Amino acid sequence: MTRAVESRPDSPSTPAPPSSGRFRTGRGPGGPAEVGQLLGRGLPLFALVVLFVVCAVLQPGVLTLSGLALLLSPAVPLVLASVSQMVIITLGDIDLGNGALVGLVTAVVAVYLVDRPLLAVALLVGIGALYVGQALLVQLRGIPSIIVTLGASFVWLGTGLALLPIPGGTVPAWLSGLMNLTTPETENYVLPVPMAVVFAAAIGLLAWFLLIRLPYGAVIRAVGSNPAAVRRGGWSVLRARMAGYAIAAGFAILAGIALAGQISAGDATTTANYTLLAVAAVILGGGQFSGGRAVPFGAVFGAFAISLVASMLSFLDVPSSYQSAVQGLVLVLVLAGRVLTDRGAT
Amino acid sequence: MTAPAATGRRTTPAAWVAAHPWVWSFGAAVVAWVAISVIAGQGLLGTLSGTLGLVPFLVLTGVGQLMVITLGNGHIDLSLPNVVTLAAYVSTGIMNGGTGSTLLGFAVPFAVGLVVAAVNVGLVLGLRVPPIVATLAVGLVLQSAVLVYTTGFQASVDPGLVAFTRARVLGLSVLGLLCVLVAVAVGFVLFRTSYGRAVQAVGQNVRAARLAGIPVGRVVAACYAMSALLAALTGVLLGAFSTPNLDLGQPYLLNSIAIVVLGGSLISGGRSTVTGVWGGALFFVLLLTLLDVLGVGVALQNVVKGALIILVLVLVGADRRE
Repeated sequence: MTRAVESRPDSPSTPAPPSSGRFRTGRGPGGPAEVGQLLGRGLPLFALVVLFVVCAVLQPGVLTLSGLALLLSPAVPLVLASVSQMVIITLGDIDLGNGALVGLVTAVVAVYLVDRPLLAVALLVGIGALYVGQALLVQLRGIPSIIVTLGASFVWLGTGLALLPIPGGTVPAWLSGLMNLTTPETENYVLPVPMAVVFAAAIGLLAWFLLIRLPYGAVIRAVGSNPAAVRRGGWSVLRARMAGYAIAAGFAILAGIALAGQISAGDATTTANYTLLAVAAVILGGGQFSGGRAVPFGAVFGAFAISLVASMLSFLDVPSSYQSAVQGLVLVLVLAGRVLTDRGAT
Repeated sequence: MTAPAATGRRTTPAAWVAAHPWVWSFGAAVVAWVAISVIAGQGLLGTLSGTLGLVPFLVLTGVGQLMVITLGNGHIDLSLPNVVTLAAYVSTGIMNGGTGSTLLGFAVPFAVGLVVAAVNVGLVLGLRVPPIVATLAVGLVLQSAVLVYTTGFQASVDPGLVAFTRARVLGLSVLGLLCVLVAVAVGFVLFRTSYGRAVQAVGQNVRAARLAGIPVGRVVAACYAMSALLAALTGVLLGAFSTPNLDLGQPYLLNSIAIVVLGGSLISGGRSTVTGVWGGALFFVLLLTLLDVLGVGVALQNVVKGALIILVLVLVGADRRE
């Protein structure tokens, strides 16, 4: 419902015609819609702050620089995976293979990057190309992305397991060194900011640049909200969808590289829950399943918030058997809350 | 249902196949069957009886998934594998090696299934959470439920039920016959009753269905309930057939969807074939057996499964382009 209202080309709030390269510049100022949107924008940051305060109360150690770094750094691969999922959701699709893909990338990194770096790079490029191929199936054959990516998830998982049947392998020292840095530092200066924050800012900025700052980003977003307008504007929906999938592939591959560096190994199965966590992060961050709404920083904050939920559970000594239930409940709460705020906004 | 309209023209074989997409899955199953027999050097019948043990379970979950997928509009049941696992444990725990009540051993898992379906439907229809995420989240909660329930789990499977799942009448598996009955019953409901027509109408065009006075909510709820009940039944029987374990239901996540797709039902809903679920299940099990016989490892079997589903979708996808 929302989508139709937001993206109607002749709606007064979107003055620029499709051919100008800008499809949506947001709603007009004032009014309940604006308030609802502001609330929605603030939600991920608000959730993040609340969760952080709870963590700090439970475990005051997180208020030191090293404690903060320990708390935040496990989230970096999930941040990357969430931004990847965010791009796909912006297109109006969904990627159920996201977690398996990240696992496959850790396997490729751990098996080949040290001994045969060229082969590793070639394999990663090949994986990216296959990922973009999914866009072809979705666009040309009209197959729902949910099924394409569900099928692909088994290709990723199977390939990952074939490469690395049990977790292990070796990761280049520079990579595990980089991913396990507490703060950015040079020989004579240490920036007093956790490395995870620096990574997250870079990731968010990159995604923002690609999807919002670049003129072509508007075309990619419009594929999710109004493909007909894209066509009328003279752009190829197929090419835009492929570009979106390529960006998503890039972030997912980076997620796998980052995770391999962090755990100094490859593991094809450990990331299975990334798929759902990343979807939750995107929705918490303000993304919409109907597509069209790119939320680079929302996804980043959402991923941190989701990852803090796990930390909070461990601070509270919640048994590990309850963790997936809590994840499921958080996801449902987030989605139900989103439905309510979105309803309020329109 | 989808038979070509008799407009005086003679029906060509090609047209008949196009109208009955399940033929492909049976054809593929026969090819895989013959290939296994040749490679393994067993007779055709020897191959069949040795490999088909898991087909009934696939068919039960596949038929349940089919009901939900027929609804279209993104309806899908991803909580199904977790219902299977939980039902297997709960039923085993209650029957406990034949000392507990067999009736409760079936009734409680069914009740669990109905609760799961109610939550799924509540989330999907009430809170308008997309089905894929709602059922996945419910599945996660069930996963925890299984872990909590099985902490210190001691019970063993009921020998009577084990005997039943392995029983044969005139050389035919009782379980297989039971599944034929279930499939026929579901096929009858889907194609010969007004309820089934309502399900398909919802899948084809939910707005038109609503305007036609179909109680969409009730139809949707019933489909999720069927899926959960069949998953619970699968869990009870599968738990007895092989012992319950934490990953018991997991393969049925993709497999239940896969055999629906392989059977020729539309993944977007509105056109379904129960016969195709049988064909898909037969082909699927025979294909995995063939890969086993060829010495392909479990990891690569996953790759083949995933690639096969995508391939079938690529071939079928063209039919529904507007």
